[in-house]
Amino acid sequence: MVKSKDLVIFSLLFVLGISFAYIYNEIKTTKEDIFTRVERDQIEHISGILQNIESDFISSLGIKNKDDMLEKLENNENRKKYEHIASLLMTPNIKYAYILQKDETGRFRFLLDASKTDKAGFYQKFDVNSPEYMRAYATAKPQIIKQKNIENLYITLLHPIISNGEVIALFSVDITTEIQDLIHNSVEPLENFFIILIVIVMLFMLLIILQLFHYFITRKRVFTDPLTNTFNRNYLEELLHVINLKNYGIAMLDLDKFKSINDVYGHQTGDYILIQASKIFKASIRAGDILVRYGGEEFLLFIHNRNGSALDVCERIRESIFLGEYFYDGNEIKTSVSIGLHKHPSLEKNLHEAIKIADKMLYLAKKNGRNRVEIYDEKALSEENSSSKDISFIKEALDEERVVCCYQPIYDYKSGEIYKYESLVRIIASDGRVVLPFEFLPQIKGTNMHYKLTQRILHIVFEKVIESKKNISININFSDLTNPDIQETIVSTLSNNSELASKITFEILESDEIDDVELFKEKTSMLHSLGAKVSIDDFGSGYSNFKTIIDIEANYLKIDGSLIQNIDINIKDYKVAKSIIHFASQSNMKTVAEFVHSKEVFDKLVELNVDYMQGFYISQPKATLIEKEELFL
Amino acid sequence: MKIVAGILTLLFTLFGHEHTDDIKADILEKVFTNISINKEIIIWSDNENLILEFKAKANFATASKCSDASILILESKQNIDKECQEKAIFVMNYALLKDIPQSFGAIFWKKGRPNIVIIAPRAKANSIKISEKLDDYLEEKIW
Repeated sequence: MVKSKDLVIFSLLFVLGISFAYIYNEIKTTKEDIFTRVERDQIEHISGILQNIESDFISSLGIKNKDDMLEKLENNENRKKYEHIASLLMTPNIKYAYILQKDETGRFRFLLDASKTDKAGFYQKFDVNSPEYMRAYATAKPQIIKQKNIENLYITLLHPIISNGEVIALFSVDITTEIQDLIHNSVEPLENFFIILIVIVMLFMLLIILQLFHYFITRKRVFTDPLTNTFNRNYLEELLHVINLKNYGIAMLDLDKFKSINDVYGHQTGDYILIQASKIFKASIRAGDILVRYGGEEFLLFIHNRNGSALDVCERIRESIFLGEYFYDGNEIKTSVSIGLHKHPSLEKNLHEAIKIADKMLYLAKKNGRNRVEIYDEKALSEENSSSKDISFIKEALDEERVVCCYQPIYDYKSGEIYKYESLVRIIASDGRVVLPFEFLPQIKGTNMHYKLTQRILHIVFEKVIESKKNISININFSDLTNPDIQETIVSTLSNNSELASKITFEILESDEIDDVELFKEKTSMLHSLGAKVSIDDFGSGYSNFKTIIDIEANYLKIDGSLIQNIDINIKDYKVAKSIIHFASQSNMKTVAEFVHSKEVFDKLVELNVDYMQGFYISQPKATLIEKEELFL
Repeated sequence: MKIVAGILTLLFTLFGHEHTDDIKADILEKVFTNISINKEIIIWSDNENLILEFKAKANFATASKCSDASILILESKQNIDKECQEKAIFVMNYALLKDIPQSFGAIFWKKGRPNIVIIAPRAKANSIKISEKLDDYLEEKIW
């Protein structure tokens, strides 16, 4: 907005500058016009007198040709007489008046000089170079020589003296600059005033141009991703205010298995792939399309409707990336891109909402095997009323390393030891506020961002276990487990590190998401095969299917907090919890009770012989893995 | 032709300018370049500034005394010693041509325009040969 103000000021200055320049030009034109009028009046006046003198001269002396002229004026008396007559012409504005004749060698000589100063002798040579002298002879027409405004000479009027149709001499009158000087001196301060004004206006304009130049350079830097030379996410915030979504389709692009490329070949290779991919993206789009690096290996593409089918553009990009050959450091790297496309983003409430849907489509593309384009189909997606700014909120948190984990101890009251810890995700907002999962997880459910967040949590927890050698459990959705990238991360990390695997428990939320029981069994079996443990989270609150739970051979049943928190006062909850603990015991599963917030609840759970307990009564989640001495504080 | 054009251009350019000594020296230098006497041209002038200008240009030798010079440049008749009266003289005023019989040429400003006059018989009397490039400025007598 500040820049708009600058542009307004610049425009005003420009108009002001043009106005001043126009006035200055008008003054100069007027001055020249006055000069011309004065000059014309002077010339007309002098020419009239010269004609009279010429007539008298020719007739009185009976001059017929140039030799006659020379002969008559060689006579002192004649010369003095006509010098006297011509001297009557002399005024303050007329400095010299004399008659010149061209001799046989072409040189001009004085025949008569009526000047009061610098008087020339009879037949004295006069070196003149201006072509007007010869032209006056040739054309027999008066000539005006505009002298340089120096030595007080302004113009020289050459008046041909004609006898019998032949030019026999030239009457030459040098007119001084006095009137012109007077006009010039009067107008000059005004001219200078406007010149100064114009210069000042131009300086201000220059300053504004420099400021704007600096602004645009800075703006370019702020809005450009230095690696891929595409727009960055800052630009997206700018687009919010100006873009007309009716003109665009929105595609979310994500390079497949990019993490693997980084892990296997190193970050330099990853950067190389990003650069190459962004080049292909740019080559595949047209003027009017907008490519934004959304973060990491994710790009957002605004495809202008006038550029044809958005799907064609996406397919072209997908194919070009897939067919591309990438060689770095002697290695050939294969990559592909998954794309989620929303063809009509203007149907959404705002840009963030449209991006969110494109991201969901991207998630589907990944889920359905990668290297494909998924188009938004309204019937296929349930409506959601979630907050629209959460995707970018999480995206920023991921990029800026503001996704962290807290750890809450799971207590073995029988031994008095901390059995393990549950990792709980937190986001540190840009203002430093700690944001809890219920504030952001529901909003990203089913989006590609969700699995990116899960990837980050897996990474953080795996690192924590390796560093601390403690047992830690990770909350994971069934849909996360079916995501190829997450599965790949889990398998590639745990298959090579059995010690790590043995310390990891995957707490899978028991919910209606588990619609494919066979796939659920397959995934939990995979986790078991890696040496990790499986816990069913929030058991008892959802669609509990005892057979499935038994079939998957979960290691732990975590009893839902809603059944635990009032167990000391609600007999029904007490009975349900008792049944679950009994069922788990019979099925060779350990039980964990969460939401243990008071001593009364704790005592009831001891009475029910639950295996492990977790809750604020024992310890709140902490940023670090606390020791048993720090419990019950 | 180039010389004449050069002199004309110079005269034309200088027309109307202040008659400063450097301009006078420029014109004189052009003239002296196109004349020859039977000895080296060594210049002396009653105008010390003019001598300084010639020294700065270094195209002609200069003398501190008129007796050592071969060409004198005079602005005033009174400034010539008796011993130098017979030397070739170039004057800076048309009237001086009449007053100093040994003078063979003059440069002067007439009605704001620079003029050059070289009196051919006087030049011949001084054994001065004038290049045909200066023909436009030659006069047989003083008018």
